[in-house]
Amino acid sequence: MEEVDAAGSDAPLEDDAGDRRVLSPSGSLLRRLVQPGHWEEDERKAVLDELFFEGPEWRPFLFRFGSLIILSTTIAALGLISNSAAVVIGAMLVAPLMTPILAVAAALVHGQLDRLGVSIMVLVGGTIAAVATGWGISRLAPGTITAAELTSELLARTSPSILDLGVAIAAGLAGGYVLTHPRAGSSLPGVAIAVALVPPLATVGISLELGATSEARGALLLFVTNLVAIVLSAMIVMLASGFVPADTRIMVRGRLRVGLAIALLATIGVSVPLAWRTADLVGDQRFTRDVISSIREWDPAGRIIELQADIGESGASVDLVVASSRSPVPAWRLAELLAQSRDVPVEVAVEYRLEQRDEATAD
Amino acid sequence: MSRRARVTAVSIVVALVAVACTPDTTEEANPASRLRVFSVYRGADAEAFRSVLDEFTRETGIEASYVGTAAFAARIQDRVRNGDPPDVALFPQPALLAEMARAGFLVPIDDGVAASIADGYADWAVDLATVEGKLFGAWYKLSVNSLVWYPPQLFAARGYEVPTTWNELRALTDQMVRDGYTPWCLGMEAFDATGWVGTDWIEDLVLRLHGPDIYDQWTSGEIPFTDERIREAFAAFSELALQPGQVAGGRRAILSVPVLDAIDPMFEEPPGCLLTRQGSFQQGELPEGLTFGPNGDVDVFVLPPMQGTTAPLLASGEIAAVFTDSEEARALLAFLASPRSGEPWAAAGGYNSPHLSFDATAYGTELDRRLGELVQSAEVVRFDGADLMPPAVGTGTFWDGMVDLVAGAPLDRVLAEIQSGYSEGTP
Repeated sequence: MEEVDAAGSDAPLEDDAGDRRVLSPSGSLLRRLVQPGHWEEDERKAVLDELFFEGPEWRPFLFRFGSLIILSTTIAALGLISNSAAVVIGAMLVAPLMTPILAVAAALVHGQLDRLGVSIMVLVGGTIAAVATGWGISRLAPGTITAAELTSELLARTSPSILDLGVAIAAGLAGGYVLTHPRAGSSLPGVAIAVALVPPLATVGISLELGATSEARGALLLFVTNLVAIVLSAMIVMLASGFVPADTRIMVRGRLRVGLAIALLATIGVSVPLAWRTADLVGDQRFTRDVISSIREWDPAGRIIELQADIGESGASVDLVVASSRSPVPAWRLAELLAQSRDVPVEVAVEYRLEQRDEATAD
Repeated sequence: MSRRARVTAVSIVVALVAVACTPDTTEEANPASRLRVFSVYRGADAEAFRSVLDEFTRETGIEASYVGTAAFAARIQDRVRNGDPPDVALFPQPALLAEMARAGFLVPIDDGVAASIADGYADWAVDLATVEGKLFGAWYKLSVNSLVWYPPQLFAARGYEVPTTWNELRALTDQMVRDGYTPWCLGMEAFDATGWVGTDWIEDLVLRLHGPDIYDQWTSGEIPFTDERIREAFAAFSELALQPGQVAGGRRAILSVPVLDAIDPMFEEPPGCLLTRQGSFQQGELPEGLTFGPNGDVDVFVLPPMQGTTAPLLASGEIAAVFTDSEEARALLAFLASPRSGEPWAAAGGYNSPHLSFDATAYGTELDRRLGELVQSAEVVRFDGADLMPPAVGTGTFWDGMVDLVAGAPLDRVLAEIQSGYSEGTP
C-alpha cells in the first residue's frame, strides 16, 4: 500500500463540515472521513464511535440496528413479493447493514481483532435476522407467488453475474469517494441503491420459504458479492484517506496485510462462481441466437412467440411457442438441426399456434 | 414410455399408397454418413439409448445419430411420405411396422440374424415382426403393462394385503371405500393419444376374462368389438372405474389428468387414491424422492388373474426395423437384436429385455430385476393389443371409443364405433 501524505491542512475544517451535517444521518462520520491527509485523534475517535458501540451504547445500538433490519427487510420482502421496484428501493435506504460492514473494514485496517469479532457477529446476526424476516413475510403472505413463478423483482436478484461484482466494487469506491469528498454527498443514496444488501437477503428468505433453493443460492451469492466488495473498497478508501494513523499502520502491519489479503481473496473467491454464472449466461445467450436462426431455417413461415433456450454441459433444452399460418413442421426436425453442430443432446418442446385470417363483406 | 408416443394414424394405408406412387428419393447418400435412428425415447430414456448407440459405435466404428419424437406414428409416416425415412426406426406399434413392411419400405432381416432372433425370443414375439413369412424387426425393449402401483407403508399400517386373485382385489377396493379412501387413480390425457390407458385396461380384462386364445382372435380382428365376450370386458372396466367413489376426481379427472401424473395423489396427505394401474414406464415419472420396494413409498403388484393363480402379462415395447438397405444399418439391427445391446440401458434402469437369455444380473434397479423374473416365469405374455390392430382401429377408433365411454356414451354405441374403424381402414 502506498504511503499517504500525512501533511496537515490549514483549511477551516469545522465550518466546512458543519454545512454537511444535514446531508445524512451519518453526517459526523462523513465530516471526519472526508478530510484527506490529516486526522486529529478526536476526529478519528468520533468516526469510530459511529461504527463501534461499546459500553452503555451497546444495547441501544443493538435495538436500533435490530429494529431497522427487521423493518427494512419487511419493506423489501413486501416490495419483492408485490413486484414493486419503488418499495424495494425504499427498503434499501432504510437498511442499516452498512454500519457493521464499514465497522468490519475499519477494524481490519486498524488491526483490532476484538472489534472485528464483534462487528462480524453483528453482521452475521443481522444477516440471519434479515433472511428469517424474508422467510417469515413469505410465510405470512402465502399463495401470492410460487417457486415456479417468482416476480421479476425477485428474479433480478437470483442470478448475479460478474457484472454485479463490477457494480459492487465501483459503487464501494464511489461510496469511499463520497466519504472523502463532501460535495458529492448527495450521491450517497445512489451508492446504497447500487450495492443493495437487504433486498438480496429478503430474496434468500423468500426463496427458501418457497423451496426455490437454487434461487436462494443465487441471491446469497449476490449479497456476499456486495459484502466483500464493499469491505475491500472501504478498506482501500480508509487507507488512502489517511484515516489510519501511520504509526498504527506500521504497528499492525502484519494484521493489516492479512486483512487485506483476506478481503482480496474473498473478492476473488466470489468472482469464481460469478464467472461461471456469467459464462452460463453468455452461453445461453449465444445458444438462443443460434436457436433463433435455426428456427428460421426449420420453419421459415413460423413466428416466434415465446422462446426459452438453455444449454449446459449435459444437454440443451428449447421451449418454443411458434405461430404459423400453415401446418406445423415437426419438432424433431428442429431438434435434429440443433443437435447437428453440438455434442450435447437437445430436448425440444414446441407449442404450435395456428394463425389464420378471414375477411368477408356482405350487403 | 413408448405409449406416450402414439398418435392417431387413421389414414396410414391411403398415405402409404400415395407414397408408393411418388419417386423414391430414399437412396440419396446420407451426407453426414452417420446412421439416422428414429424412435420414441426422450429425456432420460434418450440418454440411456444414446449410451447404447455409443456402445455400437465403439464395437463397429459406425457413427449413429438419434432423434426421438413424442408422436412417432404420425412422424414416421410423414418421413416416409416425404422420402426422408430414417435408416433405422424402433416402432412401438408392430401393426405399423407390418404395414410399412407390406408396402415395401422396410428391409427384411438377414437370414443369419433372423435365425438368432428365432432362437432368442419367444415364438409369438418373433411372429409380431413377421410379414408374409419374412422377419422385418427385432424387439429391442420390453415394458410390462399389467402392473398396479401401491403405497406399501400405508398397506401395512392399514393391514391391507396385496391381492392375488380378482376377488381379493374387489374385496380390497370395497374395504378401501369403507375406510373412507378412493381406491383408484386413473388419468388418460395424452395429447393426440388420449385413450390408450383405457385400451390397456380393456386388453388386460379380455386376457383375464377369456384367456390368450380369445385375446389373439380379438386382436387379429376375428372376434369383433361387438362380441359379447369383449362387451363383458368393457362392462367390467365401467364397473371398476366409472362408478362414483372408485376413481379420484371422478370421470372428469380421468379425461383431464395426464397419464403419468395420475399417480401423484397417492403420495399426498391424505392419499387421494391407493392404487393405479400403469406400465413399468411409470418408473421414470414417479414424484421425486420416493423409495421403491416392498418396504418403500411405492411398489407394484401384477393385476391379479380372474382364472387360475398365475396372472397373464400384457407387454409393450419397441421393435427395431431397417429402412435403408446398407451394411451399416444391417449392422445396427444385428446389434440391437443381440441381448448385450440392452445391457448399458439395463444398468441405468428403466429397461427390460425381451430376450429369453438376457443376463438378469445386468439389471441396475430392483423393479427391472423383478419384472425380468416376472416375464421369464409368466405362462402367458401378450403384446399390447391396440398396437397389433390396424392403426385405424388400434390408435384410432379404439382410443376415441375409450374417451367416449368415460365421457358417458352408451356402451353398445361405443363398441359399434370402435368396430367401424376396421372398415375405415380398408380403402
